[in-house]
Amino acid sequence: MRRRTLLELAGLAAASRIAAAGGPGGPKPASKIVLVTLGGIRRQESFSPDGVVNIPHLYGDLLPQSLFYTETWNEGVTSHFNTISSILTGVWQHVDDWGSQPPAHPTLFHYVQDQLGASPAETWVVTSNKALTANIGPGANVILSKQLLVEAVERIIRGYSARARLDRDMLLEELTAVMQDDYERIGWNVASPSTILNPEMKQAFMAALAGFIRGPEGPTSGDELTCFVAQEVLRRLSPSVLVVNFSDMEVAHSGTYSLYLAGIRKADRLVYRLWQFLQSLAEYKNGVTMVIMSEFGRDPDGSSTNGFFNHRSNTESNRCTWMMVLGQAARRPAVIERPVRQIDLAPSLGAMLGVTCRQAEGKLLAEFKV
Amino acid sequence: MAEVPRELLAKLPRTFVPALNEQMRNRHLLFPAEQRTLDAQLDWLARLPDATLRELFDPLKQIEARMNLPRWELNTERLSITDTGILVRSPYYPQWRARVAQIFEQIDAGVRSRQKTTPVNRLVLCVLPAGLPLPSAPIWPRLENQGRWVALDEPFAAMLETFAGKLVGRPHRADVEPVERTWALEYNSRLTDWKDCAPACVLSFQALGPIRREFLLRLNAIHKDLHSADAAFDDLRRMDFHKLESGAVGQEERIREFVRNLFLSGNGSMLFGNSFVQWGASEVIRRVQPQTLLCSFGIRPKLKPFSSVVLFEDQNRANPVADEPDPQGSLVDIVLLAEYVYLSASQHATYAGRTVFLFAVPEWSRVMMVAPQGFPLPAAGRLAAADLAATATRWLA
Repeated sequence: MRRRTLLELAGLAAASRIAAAGGPGGPKPASKIVLVTLGGIRRQESFSPDGVVNIPHLYGDLLPQSLFYTETWNEGVTSHFNTISSILTGVWQHVDDWGSQPPAHPTLFHYVQDQLGASPAETWVVTSNKALTANIGPGANVILSKQLLVEAVERIIRGYSARARLDRDMLLEELTAVMQDDYERIGWNVASPSTILNPEMKQAFMAALAGFIRGPEGPTSGDELTCFVAQEVLRRLSPSVLVVNFSDMEVAHSGTYSLYLAGIRKADRLVYRLWQFLQSLAEYKNGVTMVIMSEFGRDPDGSSTNGFFNHRSNTESNRCTWMMVLGQAARRPAVIERPVRQIDLAPSLGAMLGVTCRQAEGKLLAEFKV
Repeated sequence: MAEVPRELLAKLPRTFVPALNEQMRNRHLLFPAEQRTLDAQLDWLARLPDATLRELFDPLKQIEARMNLPRWELNTERLSITDTGILVRSPYYPQWRARVAQIFEQIDAGVRSRQKTTPVNRLVLCVLPAGLPLPSAPIWPRLENQGRWVALDEPFAAMLETFAGKLVGRPHRADVEPVERTWALEYNSRLTDWKDCAPACVLSFQALGPIRREFLLRLNAIHKDLHSADAAFDDLRRMDFHKLESGAVGQEERIREFVRNLFLSGNGSMLFGNSFVQWGASEVIRRVQPQTLLCSFGIRPKLKPFSSVVLFEDQNRANPVADEPDPQGSLVDIVLLAEYVYLSASQHATYAGRTVFLFAVPEWSRVMMVAPQGFPLPAAGRLAAADLAATATRWLA
């Protein structure tokens, strides 16, 4: 493996094999949507008397201004790929959990591009979850940001273990190298050329990334990098639909309850940061709808599936979660106790965007203000 | 029953066949409790009239018929990860799973009604590590509602070896096989290194380090697809690691395979010592059903910046900076994991209602005890190690 130096970063702009691409042109939807999905979080560690301590921003700052659905059911396969596919299509998906197949029905991205003629640059996915692949958003730009970080760290493990420590400069070198050499593997191959592959845009992005890595909030976790990348996409590209996925709480699979709780608290902090960031952007401030939801809960204590470690059981603890809607669709904040399903979201967001999710099996959520 | 009669195999739901074949093929690797259960279940099924068998299995077969499952034959040896993926993502999977649970409830009820063995009393001990930042509030509020604190005449740390030694060296019961007497799972290697514990089967996260690292090395080579995962798991199933381990694990094939399956079943057992202890205990309870089980937790290191994003990894390889202990995080982890050990055992038919649970903090001169009504604890005063051990061994006799 050839070692790269920071000086080589300058060469990024001239990367001739990266296709130059057009900017976000064509028609734009009437509204903008930011959908944030969180990995598995049980109600007992979030919206419950004992759990709200883990979500001070969601509970204290955002809940009062939101449409809050207290019972949002996942009736499908409670795995990451199938759940997010179901949310985006409005149909319960039963495809390969390892992401080798795209969803079996059109996603919200497809409807936006097909019915409005919007360019792919209007639709983005930025995800922390290692279980997801670019198939999660066919036709959209997908950045597997955690995979980017993982691959960078793995390069260091494989090639530079003699170095005294895994430091920020080394990480930045490797992040750059991964993006340069392996961008297809980390999701930077898109159905059509995207704006971020434009050399000028990419250089600006890398400069921002360098500042972030060296800054006070460097990414010790995948979710911090995901939040950073999502903010850069919003700032530089202003897409109409952005899906962000945080997954640090999935460390629960390894049985470290303290790190699972830390992942929930981090997601709470990052979601709030993202909402504040949207409020600082003129393109989003008044016209954005932001939805925050966990993909599922986790298994109950004492289950044969080893409790909070996993999300496999057919139980309320695993299937029943919550959904928070902020911004344009939530002009009349309320707590909705009627049970709703995760597949109701795609047609409801579709209506906000001015498209009909024709194959969706979910129902429109009446409380959304279109 | 050395093998399943082919006519019985043909009458079973097709999803049962590969797993049953695998169990029969590896029967010598099953523990006595597993062999007894499997034999009793098959014997009960073999005696059922055809009509009753159909009544038991037909609803499940109808669900299976709608599931678009792989074409498993009567000699299919096991479910691959690919097969399991197809099963689990089927829209009918929740119905399938519920029906399977019902069937086994019926089978187990039938088996129990014919059982003539005398129930055996049991004991589970969970020991926390020294040096945790213990709160003044109750550590286990849910457990403390069901149990009580028992005063000791010295801190538990001072009596652990005497107490554990008496437990391990207690008189044999004829109806408990040697491998079913005492198991221990530990984060460090204190019990492993202690000769009085030699008769017990002790599995140590620390001592199994070379095997864990070899497994992680091979798992890290998996490409992100099912076929690669299946191939890597097959490779790990074949890996000969007896030379990497000199203790009980290296010597006895059945225990070696237990460790292999434990690591392959995930749940953090290869990565975090306390997860190894809890998940290992849960698997020991399910499979071995030992009369006495000791669980010794430890303080894990903090995750290091950057390298912590790659969880399928030995973070010391990724980052040579010295480990820093995380007592605060460890306390949060262990409190719940110890409770999970209790839940695993108390919900298991073999342990329910006849198990004494002890939860000990090394610095404290008391233990939390959840015990059945009949447990003969001395009424008052502070207990010495010998008194506690004598009471426990009488219970187990």
